[in-house]
Amino acid sequence: MQTGGLSLDQAPRLSIPAIFFLTIPIAVLAAGCILIATGAAALSTPWAPQTLALAHAGTLGVLAMAMIGALYQMTPVIAGTPLPFTRVAHLVHVFLLAGLAGFLWRLLGGPVFAMSVAIISLTIAFVAFLLPLGWALARPATQNETVQGMRLAVVSLAVVTLIGLLMARGYAGDNFSAARVLWVQIHLTLALLGWVGGLIMSVSWQVIPMFYLAPPASKNTIRWLFGLLLCGLVLPFAAIFADGQSSGLLPPKQLAALGAVPAALVVWLIHPALILRNISLRKRKRSDASLLFWRTGLISALLMIPITLAALWLPEPRWQILFGWVAIWGWAAMIMHGMLSRIVPFLVWFHRYSPRVGLEPVPSMRSLLSQRQIQTGFALHLSSLVLGVAAILLKVEILAQLTGLMLVATAISLGSMLVHVIAGKSD
Amino acid sequence: MNNSVSDLFAVLGNKKPDIDDLRELEAPGPMEKVLLACSELSVGEFYLARVPRVPTMLFPHLESRGLCWWVHEEADQSALLLVGREA
Repeated sequence: MQTGGLSLDQAPRLSIPAIFFLTIPIAVLAAGCILIATGAAALSTPWAPQTLALAHAGTLGVLAMAMIGALYQMTPVIAGTPLPFTRVAHLVHVFLLAGLAGFLWRLLGGPVFAMSVAIISLTIAFVAFLLPLGWALARPATQNETVQGMRLAVVSLAVVTLIGLLMARGYAGDNFSAARVLWVQIHLTLALLGWVGGLIMSVSWQVIPMFYLAPPASKNTIRWLFGLLLCGLVLPFAAIFADGQSSGLLPPKQLAALGAVPAALVVWLIHPALILRNISLRKRKRSDASLLFWRTGLISALLMIPITLAALWLPEPRWQILFGWVAIWGWAAMIMHGMLSRIVPFLVWFHRYSPRVGLEPVPSMRSLLSQRQIQTGFALHLSSLVLGVAAILLKVEILAQLTGLMLVATAISLGSMLVHVIAGKSD
Repeated sequence: MNNSVSDLFAVLGNKKPDIDDLRELEAPGPMEKVLLACSELSVGEFYLARVPRVPTMLFPHLESRGLCWWVHEEADQSALLLVGREA
């Protein structure tokens, strides 16, 4: 049986994922500077503009940059369908960066027009990204569980973006007329569980067996998890209809949180437990520093259920801050950082060296990035995570600023790692 | 796998090449091994490997080198890959 494959010109050029990945350290650096400048003020209440700036430096600057870059690369390979207009990716990158800059500027005291610029830029960036991607995912040559998960993540991103942009108008001189707390809850649920969780899960089905020789999850298990995740993403919308009805047993915010329980259990309990188990059952237990990130990120995910309960039920705002910090920097960004340290050398090797294999000597993929460099990145990322947790719980100014310094160090380490690999210097 | 290799790949005829098992290699090991082995194929020769999954990213390289390939996906998601250099 011969099946249709991709042609070389269908695969995106290395420069496309690379520009997104290389922007991640800049966003981490920005987050570090925000913490150094604002100190504990950014970690005191989830509603403070500085806190929103810090959170969105993480979600738009780190997570979205990593995931958009990865989707440009992965979609043609996994779905078997090329993305149309891939050169638009450069435009997406510019507008995403401009949008993030305007967003942070406004929240950190900039003029109202900065948010208007951010809203327009982010709208262009996400429309230009989502339309070609949606077209490719709607017509995949290959139907598999990863494609399904990617679709779910992309639909979640579209809704998250829409809600986020509407709420951002509140900082651009307009009002957001709907119940803000409820919509923030839905925004958070779709962003963390649908967009980030859906993509981490669907990518893990591919990369954990592929890069670490761990046993794959059964298709049946994956189908069940996908179904539960979908339920947990749709049910919170029921709270919108309950909003304004005084007869409800629970306030709409908590009703929305209750609806998200199936998704939260899948993303922060079953998936991490399953992947940790599969990693422990690897066929060849070869030492690999990128697994440190996976293990820590998955353990952070397991901590998310008790932290979420504390954030929902305990009155102190620090639990809500802790929820955001561990979800963004402990779970999602930790796994992204680990994946970058494995996937970027792979992409560089694939694009630059694999066409020459068997024709001339080429360096091995492992020689493109030393394990020591990955371990350094991990130590810095973990230190910033732990310091951040201490700063949030203890509310000590110096700890918040030290966390900022450690974020800057992590950004420098990550940036030098990416430049080292993409510049193509083998060890 | 219940079928014999020649049942799966009619192009082999009576030929029975050895199967190179590459399932214990992490990415990009299987791709590297296949490309190395196929660089030495002469016209009419075949290379057969059992790979961890259908190697989508390998196919463009094989085609750019003028090689033909056939793949059979197994129930466990591994795949049997046959590469040949036809006249």
